Amino acid sequence: MLVFAISDKGGTGRSVTGTNIVYRHALQGNDVCYLDYDFGSPTAGAIFSVSGVARGTRQNGLHEYLRGECPQPRRVDVWAESDREGLRTRPPGAGRLVLLPGSEGGGELSALTDEIIGRCVQLFGRLEEEFDLCMIDVSAGRSFTAELVLAATVRMPAVPFRWLVFHRWTRQHIIAAAGLVTGADGLLDVGTRFGHDADDLRDRIRYVRTAVLEPDSAELVGLRDEQRAWLSACDSELRELAGRHSVGRTAMLGKIPLDPVLQWREQLITDEDVLASKIANAETAAAFDELAKKIVDDNAWEGL
Amino acid sequence: MLVMGEVHTGLLQNSGEISESTCRQVLGITAGETVRVSRRPIVHALSPERLTGVDCTLPAASRSRVRGVGTVVSRCAVTGGRVAQGSSYVRVVRSEADRRLPWSHYLARPGVVEVLGKAKAADLAEGFTGDPTPGSPDGACLNLGAVSGRFLDLVQASPLLDRRAPFKIPRTSLRWVAETGEPSIRFTLHTEQERTLRLTHPGPFTPAVVDLCEDLATHDWLLTSLLVIVERARIGTTPGAAAVARLAPAIDHLLHLWMPAARVEEWLTPFWDSLERRPGFTRQWRSLVDRVRDQVAVNTLALLSASAETGRR
Ligand SMILES: Nc1ncnc2c1ncn2[C@@H]1O[C@H](COP(=O)(O)OP(=O)(O)O)[C@@H](O)[C@H]1O
Ligand SMILES: [Mg+2]
Repeated sequence: MLVFAISDKGGTGRSVTGTNIVYRHALQGNDVCYLDYDFGSPTAGAIFSVSGVARGTRQNGLHEYLRGECPQPRRVDVWAESDREGLRTRPPGAGRLVLLPGSEGGGELSALTDEIIGRCVQLFGRLEEEFDLCMIDVSAGRSFTAELVLAATVRMPAVPFRWLVFHRWTRQHIIAAAGLVTGADGLLDVGTRFGHDADDLRDRIRYVRTAVLEPDSAELVGLRDEQRAWLSACDSELRELAGRHSVGRTAMLGKIPLDPVLQWREQLITDEDVLASKIANAETAAAFDELAKKIVDDNAWEGL
Repeated sequence: MLVMGEVHTGLLQNSGEISESTCRQVLGITAGETVRVSRRPIVHALSPERLTGVDCTLPAASRSRVRGVGTVVSRCAVTGGRVAQGSSYVRVVRSEADRRLPWSHYLARPGVVEVLGKAKAADLAEGFTGDPTPGSPDGACLNLGAVSGRFLDLVQASPLLDRRAPFKIPRTSLRWVAETGEPSIRFTLHTEQERTLRLTHPGPFTPAVVDLCEDLATHDWLLTSLLVIVERARIGTTPGAAAVARLAPAIDHLLHLWMPAARVEEWLTPFWDSLERRPGFTRQWRSLVDRVRDQVAVNTLALLSASAETGRR
């Protein structure tokens, strides 16, 4: 299964949420890999705490591979190469957790050629043979990278794939996320131009809300009643707005609560962060865990 | 001087094994040429051979620049309708000329790469089977693995396959070097997926040596994959039924494929025999198979006694 992670805007939590989902999926016993196709800002190495590739790799990054400058992209075994103590041993029963870092200082793709699409198809095909889940961080907004993976998936009709669109729970983000999917030059528009069936493609897209502050959450206990009432009203307004833009509950795969740890640092939330040091919220870990299951649960992906 | 090759082996990307006639279609990459099929003791289908022109540096342990020009021979195979391979090799010989000749010269010698200038066989053999020098992903160097990988991709991307393989499993690569001399064989495991083979055989090279290497690669992949599946099952720490469920794909798709040396010519079987003594491929395979079957038996017994128990109540 290929899963493409996209968002309309940068800074929505796409990378942090995507990496945490992949990590949880590995803990659930699956072999997983994470491809950093966010060529302008390849930060996945930092989130996995692999300092050698914190801002991408100097050699054999994905960018170089796609340009034909190296025969195969570099693979980083996170269980072996992470600097974080809690990640450096593979927990019993966990699957492989592999990062394919982007190229340091690679820059966005500046054009889409047939050769690049061919190499992308080759890479996806091979990874899909050996990994249960391959998550591809496609970067923000309309880009050549998004076009690249739309073109590549047309050429491999038998390979299953899905899209996750990440957005924050605000007016601007809801409208922008909907636009990225259904707007001019959005995913559906470009996808059909490359040969996807619009309805089929729409069924493969779900939204994920990031850094959500629930009106009844523990974080808000100290608020005045007036503030809580105001937040509640905002929240229902947003729900109404989301529904109108087809970004509502039915099209949503899950939501991740706002977490103090993630607000301060881009990182994986381990069980140790929740249970031992207690710096992260149990709800956050549980939300990642549930998303990691839903991503492969066909019931959650039935036609809308 | 020497022959070097690389075989990539993987699980055919289809839900079930494919029939002999489907094998023929999948491997008949070029129309008009026939796929060779042998049926006993296991169905083995081999595609026509294809040539790839190369003009590149050859890997040398001394890191001296050795230029080679010629063609690589490649082919694909499917064993038991289940295991797919891409395989390439070149015979490296000294060029009689000191400069590159017209392509017609090289095309008349399929599978031969001629070395321009000085080169030692031992240096090339070491360079090809040694660990790649860090920091030199040199795209201009002969990369038989890239060629074999692409041929395997061709098979896996066939529209006749449904791509719903019963389990996920990595490909393995076997890089081999064969020379003429006092018989010896050395098989080495490197990373989880990389193996090398150094072979010295009596008499001149024949394509039967390639068959031997492909046969070894098939069985090494089978063994490697069964080890992975058994590890994933976590026998002893997960409940019996869950462990058996995880072992089931191996029973359905792998266990019947073990046929060592089935396609190896008589004069080369001593090499297989020697690998059977050390490291002992079949010994390890049998012990794994026994483990799988014991798990199934124990679990069946548990189920039977549980249902007898409820019957009595
Ligand atoms: N659930 C969350 N709670 C709080 N902060 C979050 C959450 N998810 C992400 N963040 C923070 O938001 C910022 C942007 O996240 P990032 O994943 O880098 O975004 P993107 O990849 O979309 O550009 C980061 O500082 C990150 O730690
Ligand atoms: Mg990011």
